[in-house]
Amino acid sequence: MNLLRAWLGGIPAYLWSGWGAVASLFLLFAAWEGASAVYGALILPDPATVFATLAGLIESGAAWPELAVTARRALTGLALAIAAGSVLGMLAGVSLTASMMARPLVTVLLGTPPIAWLVLAMLWFGASDGTPVFTVFVACFPVIFVGALQGTRTLDSHLKDMAAVFRLPARMKLFDLYLPHVVSYLFPAWITALGTAWKVVVMAELLSSADGVGAALAVSRSHLDTAATLAWISAVVGSLLAVEYLLLEPIKRELERWRQNER
Amino acid sequence: MLKRPSAHAGPGASVVFPAAAHPLWLCGFRPFFLFTALSGALLVLLWGAFLGHGAPLPAVVGGPFVWHAHELIFGFGLAAVAGFALTAVPEFTGSAAVAPRPVRRLAALWLLGRAAFWLSGWLGTPALALSAAAHLALLGGLIALLAPPLWADPERRQLAFLWGLLALAGVVAGFYTDALRGESPARWLHAALGVLMVLIVVAMSRISMRIVNSAIEERGDSVEYRARPPKRTLAIVCIALYTAVEFFAPGARIGGWLALAAAAALCHLQSDWHVGRALWRRWPLMLFGVYVLMAAGYGVIGLALLTGGEGFSAGRHLLTVGALGLNVYAVLNIAGRAHAGHPLDERRWLPAGAALIAAAALLRAASALPGAPAAALMGAAALCWTLPFAAYAWVMWPLLTRPRADGRAGCAGPAEEPSA
Repeated sequence: MNLLRAWLGGIPAYLWSGWGAVASLFLLFAAWEGASAVYGALILPDPATVFATLAGLIESGAAWPELAVTARRALTGLALAIAAGSVLGMLAGVSLTASMMARPLVTVLLGTPPIAWLVLAMLWFGASDGTPVFTVFVACFPVIFVGALQGTRTLDSHLKDMAAVFRLPARMKLFDLYLPHVVSYLFPAWITALGTAWKVVVMAELLSSADGVGAALAVSRSHLDTAATLAWISAVVGSLLAVEYLLLEPIKRELERWRQNER
Repeated sequence: MLKRPSAHAGPGASVVFPAAAHPLWLCGFRPFFLFTALSGALLVLLWGAFLGHGAPLPAVVGGPFVWHAHELIFGFGLAAVAGFALTAVPEFTGSAAVAPRPVRRLAALWLLGRAAFWLSGWLGTPALALSAAAHLALLGGLIALLAPPLWADPERRQLAFLWGLLALAGVVAGFYTDALRGESPARWLHAALGVLMVLIVVAMSRISMRIVNSAIEERGDSVEYRARPPKRTLAIVCIALYTAVEFFAPGARIGGWLALAAAAALCHLQSDWHVGRALWRRWPLMLFGVYVLMAAGYGVIGLALLTGGEGFSAGRHLLTVGALGLNVYAVLNIAGRAHAGHPLDERRWLPAGAALIAAAALLRAASALPGAPAAALMGAAALCWTLPFAAYAWVMWPLLTRPRADGRAGCAGPAEEPSA
């Protein structure tokens, strides 16, 4: 109960600390406004116009369906990558041989540009949802895999020995020893993967789909509508910022608190 | 700022300057804080009489608005800056207090500046040039007196005050260059307001560390207040950027974003102050209110610039009446008493005065909104502003013009203060 109260009590302070981020974003908008004044509205519309366009898109009901489609694809691909990457990564981390073998494969996966996977996916899945989902999966998988692998490999062997000496039950070993440590590696990897997923899905849609934010971007590009293009970009970046700072960052702080307490 | 007794403190200190026997010259803040309070009350009374009843104002280049802004920024504001700097810099740097003779000269320059500027409409260019010389000599004198100790400080942590004084000298020079050329010098006054806001942020970080932490100690809370430099620097950078853009491109939307950035950075700065109930004691709350009003002022300015709507003047007056007024009032009361050898004034008139100044800021801001009964609100705002400063002059006159009761000399803090 006290813990909950302390946690709830920390929320206003956390939200208030967001003013620093708001200040830097406003500085960015000021630079944007300045660049727009230099290059003209055709090249770079000013932020107010872009936000007005975005507000228009949201009000007309055009934005939410596209964002929902994009979010569904990104999250499906991300969920698959999280499931496969976490499990396989942890399994690979448990065995020295497996992790030795996995390293070069991960390098291959990481080294292949997402655009190459996209081309393959278009050949394999055509214009279906499969193309963006697969591309997202392939782009996110190695990031999560490496996180899980490192989390498992860096487990303190003394702690493992101690758990064996005290004959900790398997359940306790998993939840009190392995998971907290592994999660502190996994969670940042998931967040990085979320950012990747969100970017890659828009790219995949741009080239392969008829709906979603990426497709809307392709349309606004073909109309030479810079304001709409920037409005869609702001929608994508804005939603990612919101998810990251309002949802994931607080969870991350909560999960990593044991580390700071240690010191 | 109350902590360290200055090196000047000592039984024989007042004997060294027999010509300066009058206790008004004991320390730099004494004449200048009186000037500040008296000019604050008088200038706004005159302005209110002009707005409400058409009472004549001294004719100056640029018209009544320039007179109003010039007097309140280069008269009232500069007097507060001079008084604070003359007292705080020797204390912060651990150097000797400024001697009575230069204090008297600087005070004379301030009075000369008032007289010359007020007469500049009738006497023309020579009076304006004299006013320019007086203001620049005042700032130049301050810099000449305070630059050596600021520079000699081993870590040079207080150099920001030197840059602030130099920037003020720069805007004064700019103002009079334009005024002497017959151009409207108003933009320099706006720039000066930006400089003052930065100076407030710098000075507040020094004052608040002691005020807020002593409030926390009194309550016995376990938290500690720290004015963190990165947040402060962000706020200063945003304010400086906004001021520069306003100077070169007044009314531009880019200034609106920068003003909003300044508002957000000031809100960010406030998070240092979230120390629990100790914040609600009068001294911390007064200083905190300065940041709240400053953030509100820049926020309103930003929104007005971005939406192209009304309210720019409302934001400006939240900065001048609110942030500047409240900060000056707080510093006058904190430093003015401590360095005259008295404990802080814990009577009721003091927070009431602070509340009146905040109310004056809100009333003045409200009067700038479309459809508001502007004349009545402005009159009420003028009254709310005048009372606290008049009361300060009334209460503090005997303290500032008589010898210290505790027998200590110069600018030293009160005797019961634990000295570092």
